[in-house]
Amino acid sequence: EVEGAPGAPLDVKCQDANKDYVIVTWKQPAVDGGSSILGYFVDRCEVGTTHWSQCNDTPIKFARFPVTGLVEGRSYTFRVRAVNKSGMSRPSRVSEVVAAMDPADRARMRGTSAPWTGQIIVTEEEPAEGVVPGRPKELEVTEATKNYVVLSWKPPGERGHEGIMYYVEKCVSGTDSWQRVNTEIPVKSPRFALFDLAEGKAYSFRVRCCNSAGVGEPSEATEATTVGDKLDIPSAPGR
Amino acid sequence: NSANVKKFTVSEGKHAKFRCFVTGKPKPEIIWKKDGAPLEAGRRHLLFEDREGYYTLKVMYCKHQDTGLYVCAASNALGHTLSSVYLTVKAPAVRFR
Repeated sequence: EVEGAPGAPLDVKCQDANKDYVIVTWKQPAVDGGSSILGYFVDRCEVGTTHWSQCNDTPIKFARFPVTGLVEGRSYTFRVRAVNKSGMSRPSRVSEVVAAMDPADRARMRGTSAPWTGQIIVTEEEPAEGVVPGRPKELEVTEATKNYVVLSWKPPGERGHEGIMYYVEKCVSGTDSWQRVNTEIPVKSPRFALFDLAEGKAYSFRVRCCNSAGVGEPSEATEATTVGDKLDIPSAPGR
Repeated sequence: NSANVKKFTVSEGKHAKFRCFVTGKPKPEIIWKKDGAPLEAGRRHLLFEDREGYYTLKVMYCKHQDTGLYVCAASNALGHTLSSVYLTVKAPAVRFR
């Protein structure tokens, strides 16, 4: 803290936020440190980072500044520092979070919220021995239309089912390239609907189990199923 | 800002579980990255949302090469944000005979 520097500016607010600028306003510090305030510096910080960058090169006289150069859709907080001939104040308290977007877009987004991520916590786990689950059983195509295909199967028998999740894989008939379908989040129940298959093409499917110990071997692959509007499955009894 | 990123250490051969709580509406899309490159689910990388709603990355049987900066990036129509940690995989202590 600099001797004779002003107190921190107060009550930093955002007005008229849109995708091109946010007008930041504030109140002058309660104490000027003994000499008059020469101006202010506005800093911005993108939410989710800890990096503050200064928005203006030379001090602003008025307690109001349009901040430009924001990335549309991203959220920011602001703070202000005051300067007199002795030096710079401490930064103000930070403003509320504001998103750089037009009011119409903001209205459309009402009831929604920007993402927030907490601190990542890392823990070490002992590898459990030999509990990678076995192959899923009785995999079959229960529905096949041109818009979707539904698969169902049974969990592997030999082990407990606790914590088992499934990865579904598809393969265009005649090729040998298996592609994982649900890459994001494993399926928890023993059925799955696939969309976005190419009409007229034939596919085989298979499923793998995984648990905290790892990913298991795949199930038997299904017979090739052609994507089209014929509900020829399930097949007749006695197959 | 890698200087003030939280650091964790696990032993070689053990699993490292990363848990991150994420909020946002619409539900954000989550990408885990290591040293800037997106991680995909595979034999040594499990990606899932656990029962308590934490996005979880599990790196199985950690190797020395798994050391690095891990990021959980979340985005939806309103914006994006991320959290990061630095993981060090340390070799098991050498024992004297």
